[in-house]
Amino acid sequence: MTVDAIITADVLDVPSSPVRTVRRRRFASWRLAYMLLLPSLLGLAAFTYLPVLRVAIDALHVTPHGAGGATRFVGLENFARVLGDAAFRQAALNNLIYAVGTVGPSVVLALLFALAVRRSTRFNAVVRTILFFPSLVPLVAAASLFFFIFLPGVGLLDYYLAKLGVSGPNWIGDTDVALWSIVGLTVWKNAGYYMLFYIAGLQNVPRDHIEAATVDGANAMQRLWYVILPALRPTTAFVITIALIHMLTAVDHVVVLTKGGPSNATNLLLFYIFQEAHENFDTGKAAAATVISVAVLLLVSLGSLRGMEAGSRREA
Amino acid sequence: MHVIRRLGAGALAAALVLTSSVAWAQTRIEFFFPVPVEGKLAREMTRLVKQFNDSQKDIEVTAVYTGSYDETKLKAQAAAKAGKPPSVVLMSANFTVDLKLAGDILSLEPFLAAEGTTREKFLGDFWPALHANATVDSELYGVPFHNSTPLLYINATHFKEAGLDPAKPPRTWVELVDAAKKLTKRDGEKVERHGFMMPGGYDYLGWLMSALSMSNGGRYFNESYGGEVYYDTPSMLGAAKLVEDLVYKHKVMPSGVIEAGGVSTAFFAGKASMVLLSTGSLSFIRENMKTPYDVAFVPRNVRNAVPIGGASLVMFKGQSEASQQAGWKFVRWLSSTDVLGGWSRFTGYFAPRKSAYDTAEMKDFITRNPDAKVALDQLAYAQPWFATYQTVAVRKALEDEMQAVMNGKKKAEQAVKDAQRKADELLRPYIDQTALKLP
Repeated sequence: MTVDAIITADVLDVPSSPVRTVRRRRFASWRLAYMLLLPSLLGLAAFTYLPVLRVAIDALHVTPHGAGGATRFVGLENFARVLGDAAFRQAALNNLIYAVGTVGPSVVLALLFALAVRRSTRFNAVVRTILFFPSLVPLVAAASLFFFIFLPGVGLLDYYLAKLGVSGPNWIGDTDVALWSIVGLTVWKNAGYYMLFYIAGLQNVPRDHIEAATVDGANAMQRLWYVILPALRPTTAFVITIALIHMLTAVDHVVVLTKGGPSNATNLLLFYIFQEAHENFDTGKAAAATVISVAVLLLVSLGSLRGMEAGSRREA
Repeated sequence: MHVIRRLGAGALAAALVLTSSVAWAQTRIEFFFPVPVEGKLAREMTRLVKQFNDSQKDIEVTAVYTGSYDETKLKAQAAAKAGKPPSVVLMSANFTVDLKLAGDILSLEPFLAAEGTTREKFLGDFWPALHANATVDSELYGVPFHNSTPLLYINATHFKEAGLDPAKPPRTWVELVDAAKKLTKRDGEKVERHGFMMPGGYDYLGWLMSALSMSNGGRYFNESYGGEVYYDTPSMLGAAKLVEDLVYKHKVMPSGVIEAGGVSTAFFAGKASMVLLSTGSLSFIRENMKTPYDVAFVPRNVRNAVPIGGASLVMFKGQSEASQQAGWKFVRWLSSTDVLGGWSRFTGYFAPRKSAYDTAEMKDFITRNPDAKVALDQLAYAQPWFATYQTVAVRKALEDEMQAVMNGKKKAEQAVKDAQRKADELLRPYIDQTALKLP
């Protein structure tokens, strides 16, 4: 509808004319639209829709590795095997802890950063760059750096802790601590990125609302809580959505630092899928786990985007 | 009709021209190689391939750097699945069984037959410990290229400080624990310096556990059948208990998992006095260790024994006859005495051919680097490398449990039992298809 309208009106510059001409023109414009879309559609089909279809098909089949035997249809058996796998359940639980532990602190930090540097001064520009810097470092590089920061005994973290007379734990080698080290790294990495959205969001908070609240005698805390935060609701919903997507789609640091260990303590869903596909050659199980993760991801995104729409409607 | 005949003739002529031009043209093949140690090795390998290409006109080899061992396997298998298999791949030596079972690689027997030789004759020049990982079901599938074993590295200065003789490093587990206790420096509850450290990350840990269980008289896995591992056995339990005691009873090793990079850094920084690492790290340690160090055999409890590690050259199925012949020629050249010797001196890995050590360059090198001699001597006690159906997953079954032991979450007794149960589950499909498939 929108594409149609834009092309008809703007590109072809249709004057008001008899219905038949419009219809013919309209058909022509559709053809043009599709022709323009074709390259991206082909790309999408080849690299998105076909693989999605393939994963859905794989999830319903089993291909025995090595032991001879052809691919056969097994219905939902792969899903039962995945859900019955202790390693999958641990990866799912880890992912949940990782998501809750990371998204909350990084969003709160992002908001605080944004509030601190929202005014455009030269000093703030420098601070913004510093805060944003971790986002510029690729996750793989960041993880490689943190390998040396986390080194037990000789690492940067333990070096400074020792100066305070504290001896740190084995940051990524202790089953109880490792996942939280990964959480810490991710918060450090992502908070600055989310801050950008909040800085943009803050520009759109109506000034007169804040001024009105100030005139009514609201203090800074009250202005934040009753005026600024509600106005930022769409931003928050958006930031939480992309943050949650990050939680399921980025495991570079796990691959570099722990390979999911020790004893699967830092295994996340995406890395579990990788292991099933490429270490255990169980394509069926990997595909089923993928379908489950993507379904969860879709539900989460849908939920947050709903929240965002509701928020913006209330705003309007 | 006439037209068709003429077309046919034309096609025939075109085909003739095409085949003759193919006959004259070079055979182009791809060679995938991993580099377990970054940087310089990739450049040296590229230099070798260029040397091969310049030495003859029939074959043009394109060397493709494919990352780590695991990534190389992934990429080679993905390329094969897509119908464009690499001709030759330098593959982690214990993946040969898995690749053969998956039907991905060629038996090299026909090439040997064409040369009028046999497997026994061909392997005669290779160290005996390497034969098992090169053959699957009594057929040759891989040609060993570079190999390693675990090795004990000791800080000579720390030894003298603790009143120990660096010329006499620990030979048995008793001596190891004893030395580690003397070498550990404490400040109240806090440990300033650990007497012993070993990598606990995936892959490395399984390899070292196999070294310890072998030193304890064990075998870790069945060399002639891919469906059996020996985790819940006295020899493995002893090895697991040793690790547990080093951490929690003798308190000479840090708890939790430390990756290989952390262990070598601790050794360089003087925070660990003895470390268990690969002979493949020899050049790296030689270049980076600032204080005097020494190397020794992996200490024994029952016997001296270590597993080999390293990589072999394999050839992929699905390539043309011409490409196969070219690939084999390249394999023969890469695994010649001179090339293997040069690569060994460059990297610190063993040369798999015994004859490489008879050359003048090698004799000279060994005289200048006595630590390389210790590593070489240990080769006499080397055993095959752990390789089964689902090698990685079966290995991980033990590693997850051992990491729990190193974190104090589980006792060694329980850990080896749980590891065995998990491994048996993973091996089940293969067992059902083989040993338990009865008439």
